Amino acid sequence: MSYLEYSVKTVPSGWRKFLYLNWPLIVLLTAVASIGFLMLYSVAGGSFSPWAEPQMKRYALGMTLMFIVAMVPIWFWRNVAFLAYSVAFVLLIAVELFGTVGMGAQRWIDLGFMRLQPSELMKITLVMLLAAYYDWLPIQKTSRPLWVLLPVLIILLPTALVLGQPDLGTAILLLTAGGLMMFLAGVHWAYFASVVAAGGAGIWAVLQSRGTEWQLLKDYQFRRIDTFLDPSSDPLGAGYHITQAKIAMGSGGWTGRGFMQGTQSRLNFLPEKHTDFIFNTLAEEFGFIGGVSLLLLYVLVLIFCITSALQNRDRFASLMTLGIGLTFFLFFAVNMSMVMGLAPVVGVPLPLVSYGGSAMLVLMVAFGLVQSAHIHRPR
Amino acid sequence: MIRTPLRPLARILEARQNGENPDAIERENLRIRHEQMRDRARLRAEGRLLVLGVMFFCAFSVIGLRMGHLAASEPTEPRAQATGASIIAQRADIVDRQGRILATNIETHSLYAHPQQMIEPLRTAEALVEIFPELDHDRLVKDFTGERKFLWVRKKISPEQMQAVHDIGEPGLLFGPREMRLYPNGPIAAHVLGGTSFGREGVHSAEVIGTAGIEKYLDTALRDPGRNGAPLELALDLTVQAASERVLDAGMKLMNAKGAASVLMDVQTGEVISLVSLPDFDPNDRPRAPTSGEPGDSPLFNRAVQGVYELGSTFKIFTAAQAMDLGLVNAETMLDTRGPLRWGKHKIRDFRNYGNSLSVTKVIVKSSNIGTARMAQMIGSERQRAFLGQMGMLEATPLEIVEAKGGKPLLPPKWSELSTMTISYGHGLSTSPLHLAAGYAAIANGGYAVRPTLLRQTAPQTGPRIMSAEAAQASRTMLRQVVTEGTASMGEVPGYFVGGKTGTADKPKARGGGYYDDKVIATFATLFPAHDPKYVLIVTLDEPVETSGPEPRRTAGWTAVPVAAEMITRIAPLLGLRPERKPLNMAGVTLISD
Repeated sequence: MSYLEYSVKTVPSGWRKFLYLNWPLIVLLTAVASIGFLMLYSVAGGSFSPWAEPQMKRYALGMTLMFIVAMVPIWFWRNVAFLAYSVAFVLLIAVELFGTVGMGAQRWIDLGFMRLQPSELMKITLVMLLAAYYDWLPIQKTSRPLWVLLPVLIILLPTALVLGQPDLGTAILLLTAGGLMMFLAGVHWAYFASVVAAGGAGIWAVLQSRGTEWQLLKDYQFRRIDTFLDPSSDPLGAGYHITQAKIAMGSGGWTGRGFMQGTQSRLNFLPEKHTDFIFNTLAEEFGFIGGVSLLLLYVLVLIFCITSALQNRDRFASLMTLGIGLTFFLFFAVNMSMVMGLAPVVGVPLPLVSYGGSAMLVLMVAFGLVQSAHIHRPR
Repeated sequence: MIRTPLRPLARILEARQNGENPDAIERENLRIRHEQMRDRARLRAEGRLLVLGVMFFCAFSVIGLRMGHLAASEPTEPRAQATGASIIAQRADIVDRQGRILATNIETHSLYAHPQQMIEPLRTAEALVEIFPELDHDRLVKDFTGERKFLWVRKKISPEQMQAVHDIGEPGLLFGPREMRLYPNGPIAAHVLGGTSFGREGVHSAEVIGTAGIEKYLDTALRDPGRNGAPLELALDLTVQAASERVLDAGMKLMNAKGAASVLMDVQTGEVISLVSLPDFDPNDRPRAPTSGEPGDSPLFNRAVQGVYELGSTFKIFTAAQAMDLGLVNAETMLDTRGPLRWGKHKIRDFRNYGNSLSVTKVIVKSSNIGTARMAQMIGSERQRAFLGQMGMLEATPLEIVEAKGGKPLLPPKWSELSTMTISYGHGLSTSPLHLAAGYAAIANGGYAVRPTLLRQTAPQTGPRIMSAEAAQASRTMLRQVVTEGTASMGEVPGYFVGGKTGTADKPKARGGGYYDDKVIATFATLFPAHDPKYVLIVTLDEPVETSGPEPRRTAGWTAVPVAAEMITRIAPLLGLRPERKPLNMAGVTLISD
């Protein structure tokens, strides 16, 4: 069903919308963010500066943005989906041309009060556009090649730009989230099977090409793969991050060393301890129990998104809620895998916990969209 | 696919008859169809969501399990593989035949610096110079304030020094554990043990490698992790070795010799019980090889193994033994000793004129060159050469130290008949004292060749028989008589029946050829107890001069013999030999006559 088909009158209006917000979800998000504040306070050595305080401010700003986005009717968001995607896309091109180079990658546009990462924006707008696309597309056309090609282009164009920055982590997120959205929208499974097969063959070919004259990756890229597979082969070089991260987790044990007692993170053994590797600080100070608790909170957030999507009979709202849940899931799954040595280090932050502006704001806006879909669902 | 028509004719007609708008039916049906389609899509989406849910669940499980696995893991800081973590420094101990430590390992620390991490490089340099006065202050300042990222300050430091450096409190100074080789007995057995140095060095450890002696010869075996720390057991006896060194050192000084060597060998097994070369050194602080001067005078030079000398009259017994073994003579055979014996333009003389003829026994006892040369003429070059070869006199000894290869005997360029005659009394063939010990051991053990070894043996080594038991027995009788009534009268040790043969050889000039008049190598080769010899002892003095008399005396009887006698007095009890007060039915009574 599309919003054009049901009566708007059944939807709450005015201040009554506040009553229909998904309040448990808000509580969950605040809990997750609070864990982040706690950890940022700890890694700064028991101080609100330089990380915890700006993070809290950003969270407050994000919360406000979430409410604003939630109040706006969901059909408005559907109608601006293409526009939002286009703006994000243009910004991606702009960052390529005028962006600030940071950490060896061109990712930011300096807006004065904050540094905007268009790739973060793209994560949300891509989900919005794909949801709007499948809402618009008659269901019977979903699996026709031409109508499959279009969303593939929608996904691949920004992915290519992000990959060129280079930001492998975000590129993987975009690709996976987009692909899963298509899967959920009901595109025939044979497409996915062939893509998976081709991907497997591609990886095989790349690995086989090593040492031959038609080698597909540079030597240093192969070495990174080696380091991922066996970090101890280069514990002071490329394997340093992951080795230290594992030590942090191991020294945390089951119950942890206690709040502000983590030596790995506070003595600077752990790199990027306030951003990508903040989970290890958590695991060191609160142990397995702390880590699993955070994981459970994330799972609950995801379950709330899925439940909300299942309750919603509107296709756009439902797909978008699932897409945002998916993106959220990919964020923390990739980050956790990465810091625990299950996946290569690609630079994906832990959602709502890692220190960082763009990611936090964009996620809060995304949850605003989820809330909007929740409030304005057809009844 | 069969589709339900949107405008079923029957219902349209019915509606028309009832005056209703038939389009409503179409809209109604269209709505139903859309709902069905949507429901199907929804069902499908839910199925897909279920698939996704399973994937999520798997991901969560993997992450959770991994978290538990890591939480349960023991955090271990990886040892850097780049900087020498793979160096295994565990080296086996070396012990003597009683299990006493000759070489072991000790944990010390090295001191190195990371100048880039230094907080107060200038103060650190000053403090370091106070602790290690040998360091150069300006150099340290230059290193610490420069571009260098790493430098060694000291390779080995003592615990006290480590504490003092620690107290400087400079984070840029770091310690690395390091194992070093310790020779707790200092210079005792220095030439056997040799020494070690550091091989590949890392901050976490350093490789200890043998540089000389048995440490180098058996380096691989000592470093073999498969030993599991089992010590290397040598044939040496630490107390005998120590006593030998004391006596030889005193004797060397008393006899004004510039060097000395001794070898004590078990005649059954070939085990070297003590091996001394003086002057010596401390393997804990092994001196560098000299770059100038005679290498043979360096303390590092092993005179007992590397040094090859013409050992003079000590060889005569080999000639007599072989001649008796071949049946050419017996102990009583009279030999023409009228001198000088001319051979071409060469003349062979005796020390004194011994008259017209002497028995073989007397030739040995009085040490007649002419009588010995006559026996050599009977034996002939081929047989003499073969006999000496069987004794191992013609090649380097197989002793388990690297220096042994350097002790290659000097053979005459052409083994002529003249060479045969000179070699018969120990000139023209240069061997090491160890060679001589092996030769005497063959006489002492009843005629079997002996292979000298430094490793503890559990059973007698029986080499090939090189002479008959009778010939060996007769030779021993003669050797005993040398001590009782011949040139080695000072060699008598009450209670231990010493047999032996002296040898005094003029030293060849280093340049030009010919011999010095006043420089000799004095050697006494002994075996004891003479009636059933268990040990052979060789004592060699380099350029001894005994000055108690009116004129300087250099012959072995006055120099090497008393030193050897003193040594036997000291070491025989250590070897467990009981002094025999009452002479047994002396070995010398059973003379051979065929």
